[in-house]
Parts: sequence; structure tokens; C-alpha cells
Amino acid sequence: MTTAAFSSRGRLLAVCLILAALSVGLFGWSLAEAFSADGAIAAMDPSGRFPALVALHSLAPRYVVGLLAGAALGLAGALLQSVLRNTLADPSSLGVAAGAHLAIVAMTAFAPELGGFPREGVAFAGGLMAVLIVLGLSWRRSFEPATVVVAGMMVGLLCASLAATIILYSGQYLTSLFLWGGGSLAQQNWTPAIDLAVRFVPAFAISMLFLRSLSLLTLDDPGARALGLSVAGTRLAILALAVALSAAVVSQVGVIGFVGLAAPNLARLMGARTARPVLLLSPLLGALMLSVTDGIVQAIDRASRFDMPTGAVTALFAGPVLLWLSSRLRTARPDLRAEGVTEASRRRLWPAVLGGLAIVTALALLVGRSEGTIGFDSLSTMATLLPWRAPRLVAAMAGGAMLATAGCLLQRMTSNPLASPEVLGVSSSAILAMAICVFAAPAMGLAGQITGATLGAMLGFAVLIVAARRGAFEGNRMLLGGVALGSFCGAALTVLMTRGGMEAGMILAWLTGATAHVDPVIAGVTAILALLLILPALVLSRWLDLLALGNEMPAALGLAMTRARLVLLALAALLTGAASLTLGPVSFVGLMAPHIARHVGAADARSLLATSAALGALLMGVADLASRLAFYPYQMPIGLFASLIGTPYLLYMLARR
Amino acid sequence: MSGLTRRALCASALASLAGASLAGAAGTARAGEPSAVRVAAIDWAMLETALAIGAEVVAAAELRLYRQMVVEPAASPAIADLGLRGSLNYEALLRAAPDLILSAPWYVKYEANLSRIAPVRSFRIDQRGRSPYEPAVAAARELGRLTGREAAAENLILAVAAEIDAQRERLARRRGESFSIINIGDPRHFRVFGADSMHGHVLDRLGLRNAWAGQTRYSAQAPVDLVALANAGDAGIIIVRPIPSDALRVLPESPLWNALPAVAQGRVHVIDPVNPFGGLPTARRLARLLGGALA
Repeated sequence: MTTAAFSSRGRLLAVCLILAALSVGLFGWSLAEAFSADGAIAAMDPSGRFPALVALHSLAPRYVVGLLAGAALGLAGALLQSVLRNTLADPSSLGVAAGAHLAIVAMTAFAPELGGFPREGVAFAGGLMAVLIVLGLSWRRSFEPATVVVAGMMVGLLCASLAATIILYSGQYLTSLFLWGGGSLAQQNWTPAIDLAVRFVPAFAISMLFLRSLSLLTLDDPGARALGLSVAGTRLAILALAVALSAAVVSQVGVIGFVGLAAPNLARLMGARTARPVLLLSPLLGALMLSVTDGIVQAIDRASRFDMPTGAVTALFAGPVLLWLSSRLRTARPDLRAEGVTEASRRRLWPAVLGGLAIVTALALLVGRSEGTIGFDSLSTMATLLPWRAPRLVAAMAGGAMLATAGCLLQRMTSNPLASPEVLGVSSSAILAMAICVFAAPAMGLAGQITGATLGAMLGFAVLIVAARRGAFEGNRMLLGGVALGSFCGAALTVLMTRGGMEAGMILAWLTGATAHVDPVIAGVTAILALLLILPALVLSRWLDLLALGNEMPAALGLAMTRARLVLLALAALLTGAASLTLGPVSFVGLMAPHIARHVGAADARSLLATSAALGALLMGVADLASRLAFYPYQMPIGLFASLIGTPYLLYMLARR
Repeated sequence: MSGLTRRALCASALASLAGASLAGAAGTARAGEPSAVRVAAIDWAMLETALAIGAEVVAAAELRLYRQMVVEPAASPAIADLGLRGSLNYEALLRAAPDLILSAPWYVKYEANLSRIAPVRSFRIDQRGRSPYEPAVAAARELGRLTGREAAAENLILAVAAEIDAQRERLARRRGESFSIINIGDPRHFRVFGADSMHGHVLDRLGLRNAWAGQTRYSAQAPVDLVALANAGDAGIIIVRPIPSDALRVLPESPLWNALPAVAQGRVHVIDPVNPFGGLPTARRLARLLGGALA
């Protein structure tokens, strides 16, 4: 045994011992608090019977559930990371947790009588669906780590937004779904602990059986195949195992971020090199990390008397860790394929796009619905309604054009076809700032909230720039910085939302977009911003063409790479922030429009940008019309509507090419 | 400044012009009271108050949920639904052509837009740290003045006070007993109604004690976990419906729940849904439901 190996083993032991001591110590503290003579529980219960019951049926199972959930997530993270050869993979970054959560929210709202065991089955189906979509999206990039995480972030955002809509539409009594979406570990009997144990132990045993396959999978696919492994089948089996583990955790205690990401990475950091030690250590470290965090959260709860969801608190750490991990990723080779298009198809393009825009505008302005009938409104009605329809249509279309332009910029400069404005994290930080405004100063008007959101977007943008700068604005580093920022803001938002009440309802409404409340002033400002920001993008389109050539060529052609990327990123972030203020955080328009534009024949950066912007406006026009009419008088969130239309199309297109 | 007001004026003039034609087409104009103020309510507390004083309510937000969660006064099917409170359907509001829009501070950011349709009055009933009852009385009175139904408003105020007094008599033998009044979120989390909620106030007025009255750290509705309920010691428990189905399944099996003194001694009462942020009609409904459950 070399000294190096010894010191790494010693370090490992020390870390585990410290964490274990902390974990047990915090548990002991909570027990002592329950039994203490001047504690709240004892004061209220003169008979003295209750502390023992609390210790036995609440504190002890909570501690055990913390350990087991942490272990399960650590194991799931280790499995996912080795199967995908991706150190950034974990149940939350792959959208598994969000998918499982969405499935349970939908079940609670639409079919509550199911209850009981099927809940976990529903969570499993939702999680599996989400991860399959993520993998489907990143298939063509052969599951390259950054792409998988970016796709996971988008699917996660879509699921969260759908869940928010369901909660919003089904009424306040589901408020507790937030708490549970935030992953509260509070317990009051042993059932969840036993259920988790019954699932974790066999899953751990099975993954030990897969040990050889997992070691082989760390080779490249041909190598593994040559050694007699059925690569696809094994991958799928291990993937299903990991999804089952995280579905079990989600259905028992809710969404708990970060642990699955951090535990395997911590194991590797402490010297675990091969599949075996990583698989053994990850559950241990996951269990200790979650139980320590929960112990700290409980201590804060006791002091503040406010029940914080442990899962959202752990998720707060996910952003920074993701950022740090992404700086250690090897740089992926940029995708140099340029899709060739004939000039002929391009000539026929503009009349069609402009014609479509005109038709959609006319329909969106003139068609209405009252008491069940959809049709063109009478002239006198129109006179009343136009001053209301026009602003929201203008804002929606301008927002769509801005997002499409931002998406186009990002996809070009990162050479990543999945780069979408949503993953920049700028809109998440805008919404977080707005939520803080709503809670801190409820009397603030719309103007104040928009100012707050703008400040938040700018702050988020500054953080993004600082993060991306350290990677010299290299494409994937930029995207991962955005994902990290977004997941941090999302977790902070969840912590805020668990306070419930009317404020949470108001924030939910924002989360799903605010086109309903657009007035002529906001519409005008949005339109002017769109013009001011899209024009420079068109002017700078030559840079995009040059950047697509790779790293050396543009420099040789006299382009200051770093500065060009900074300017383009700034533009994309501004476009995204301006659009998200009216459209809400998720729409996928920024992702879809450039793909459709390429599909219909736009080739060079300038025509691609212009076509994307026009298509973005078109898509949002359709979404505005549909979201207004579909469930009248209840309005669907416009961004969500757009993404529901867009996701299947996007999957189809990505699979086809 | 002047541009803004001019624009607002034009918009509201246009709106009322076209609104008149819309309302005529909808056939809601009645012969009896030609000058009744057409009221639209964004906030439920004001909606129930307006309905209770017999004002002409033409539109209200989220009626589907109102019918489940607030229940009374019943909202007639003729009232136009305005969609979600967080995502109001302004087109439906325009079609209803109200003369007055009732709002609350939650919706302050929509007020600029709403006032393009009709004058907006915002009523602050719920506020952290004070009882909502007196503000609800003042709001009812003010609404009576605004809609020309002063007498009906005074009647409502008296009727609610009378109902509370009657139920107080009915519960005389329970005077001084303390209760926690809660909503169940899931088997592990509860919302507790503190002293600054209508629920807390009505408990008080009925001669009962709100077990959470002294604990100002809990505002109107705070999510707390089950263990915190034990803090209320011997207090009885009043559960406000709806109860989620998983709670119905899990709670009876929970040793901790069963160990709560109130549960062990069978002092858990369940009442029908009550508006968590209500006005005077909510106070009346609460008093009646509590009287029925505890007598």
C-alpha cells in the first residue's frame, strides 16, 4: 500500500467519521430538545407521555428516513453517473424527480381516490417518462454530459411548470403539495421508513450484481461489447433501477435535490476510482449528508418555528456544486456539422412566414369565445375587446420573437442544438426576485414587481457572466453555469413557496406567465425592447457565422473570441429576461423556433435569426389564441401551452435528423 | 400625468359605451331597479359580502372553486366566471360590464388594468397581527354605501352578530374550552388558524379559546407539522374540510395522531369548508358550523 493510497483512505475515514458524528449529534440534540423539561412539548403536556411518543414515532423515523432517502439517492446518482458516464447526472438533473413529482401532483388533483400503493407506481412512470424524454433529446449528441443536463433542466422546468399549473387550477387546498414538492422529511409513523428500507436493500443488492457490467460500462461501448456485455440492455436495466429508487424517495418524502449529485462526486473526490468503491461509498455519503442537513434544518425549525422543506434546502447547494463540477469537465469538441440548404427553398420561405404571421394576428385579434361558442366577434364587441386583445398579443409575439432570437444566438454560439434561453437561469432569477418582492412588500404594484424582476434578471445575468467568464465563454460551460444558477433560484423559490397562502398563489400565477395582465404600456415597452435587442443580433450575425467555424479559425480571421462571446451572451440574456417578464419562465419557443427555421431552409446566421424571430412571434401568437379560448373563461398559461405544443414536435424533429 | 388620465378616461368611456351594448345583448338588465350598481368581485371575501347584502353581482373570479370552498352565500349561475384570480379573464369582465370592481390588496398589481374597465375599490380585511372582524364590518358598511344598499348592509352586520350571540348561548356549557382549528394539508402537515384569522376571532366570540391565540409566531395560516399540534396540549381539534384522501387513510393509523389528547378522548370535530380569508358571511357560517359541531 502506497502512502498516497493510505492518505486518501485516511481522509475518507476522517470525512465519514466527522459526518457520522455530526449526524448522530444533531439527532441526539433533537431528542434532548423533545425531552427537555422547559421545551415546548413538555410545557404543553403535563402528563409527560408525549415526548416519548414524539421521539419514537416522529424523530426516530425521521432520522431513519433521512438516512435511507439519502442512501437511495446516493445509490441512484452513482448508478446514473456510471451508466451515462456523466458526473453531472442525478435524479434531479435528469428530470426524474420532477417527472415523478408531476405525476403525483396530477394524480392527487385528478384521481385522488387512487391513493396508497399506486402512488409509487405513478411516480415511477412519471420519472421514467421524464428520463426517457431527456435521453431522447440528447440521443443524437450521444448522451454528451452537458447536453444531457441541459435537456434534463428543460424537462424538469416543463414538469415543474405543469405541476404549478395543476396546483393553481385545482385550488388552495393542495398548498401542501409545495411542502411535499420541497421534500419535507417530517414523519409521524414508521411506514415510510420501512417502505424505503424494503426498496433500498434489494436495489443495493441488485446493483452489486451489476458491478461487473458497471465497470465494463466505464470503458467505451465497443470495448464493453467486445467483453460480452449487452450494452443497451444493461444500460436500460440500470437506468430503470435508478429511476425506481428515486421514485420511491419522491413518493415517500418528495423531491430532494443535490444528494444524488454530490454523494458519488464526493466519493470520487476522496479517491474512489472504480465502480465498486463508488457504489459502496455513495449510499453511505448520501445518507450522512442528508441526515446532517436535516438535523441542521430541524435545529433551525426549532428556533424559528417554521417548517422548512429539507429537500429544497439541500437543493440550494446543488447549483454551486454543479458549477464547480462543470469546471472539471473535459471540453467537448464543438459540433462542426453545418446543415446544407439550397437557395431555392429559401426564396419561398418569407412569403409563407409573413402570411402565417398575418393570419395568426388576425385570428388572435378577431376570434373570441363567450358562453361556449367560438367565433368572430361582432363589430361593437370588437371595439371593446381590441384594446385588451391587442396589447397581450403584441407582448406575446414580441416575447416569442425575443426568445427565438436568444435561442438562435445560444444554439449557434454553443454549437449545441439543445441550448435554450430557459436554461440560462436569467428568467429563474427574475422570478425569484419577484417572489421576494411579493413576500417582503405585498403592497407593491405591478410596476414595482417588474422592477424587482428586472433587477433579479440583471443580478442573475451578472452571476452567469462571472461563471461563464472563468470558462472563457466556452459553450457548454456557459450552459452549465446557467443550469446551476437556475437550479439554485428554483430551490430558493420552493423554500419561499412553502409558506403558502395567497402570496404563493400570486407567485404561481407569475410562474405560469402574466400575459393576461399586460396593459398597453407593458406591451409597448416589450415591443420596443424586442426591436432594440433583435436588431443588434442581426447586425452581429457575422460573428455567429465565424464562431461556428470552431475555436482557431475565427481568431485567425481577426475576431476577439472572448469579447464576441461576452457580447452575444449579454444579448441573449437580455432578450431572455425581457421576454420572461411577460411570458413566464418556460416556453420552449427559444428552442423550437431556430430548429423550425433551419428545417424550412434558413442557413446563414442572419436569415436564421430573422426567420427564427418571425417564427417565434408566430408560435406565441398561436399559443395566445389557443390559451385564451381552450378553457374559457379559465386561461391556460401561454408559455406552458406553447411548450405542450412544441415538445412532441421537437422530439420528432430531433429523432428524425 | 395628464396623458395617463386622458387615456384612462377614453378607455373607460369606450368601455362603458360598448359595455352597455354588451350588457343589453346579454339580457341581464332588469326592470325593477334600473339604477342598481353592477358589481364584479375579484376577491372572495367581498364577493360573499356583496351577495349577502343582495347587491347586483354580475361577475366574480374563480367561481368553480368558490362553490366548493366558500359555499355560501350561493353564487347564482347567471354570474359570469372571471377565471383564476391569478390570471383574470378581462374579456369576460368586459362582457359583464360592471360599474364597480371589488378587489383586495393581494391583487394590487392588477388594479391599473382593472380601473380601465370600471372604478376599483380595494378592501383590506386580512392582515397579519389583527382580527379581520372589524375590517369586515367596515367593508360591508362601505360596500352598502357604494351600492346603495346601506340598510341591507346594516342588517347583515346585525344578523351576523346575532348569529354569533345565538351560537354562543348554545355553546354556553363549553365556555372557556380551548380548541385548535386546522386545515389538513397532507398526513404530515397542517395549517393552523391563528388569532389574526376569522376562524380565531369567531372561536373567541363564541366564548371558546383559540389554543393558538397566544402564539403570535403563527400567522393566519402557517404550515406546521403534526408534532406542533401536541403543543396545544389538551385542546380539542376542529378540522375544516376538505380532508385529502391520503390523510384520511394514514392519520387513523398514526400512533402520534392517536396519542394527541384530543384524538384519544374523541374530541375531534369536523366542519364543512369555510373560506380561509373570508368576510362577514364567513363569520356567520363559521359560527353556525361550530355551533352545530360542538353543541
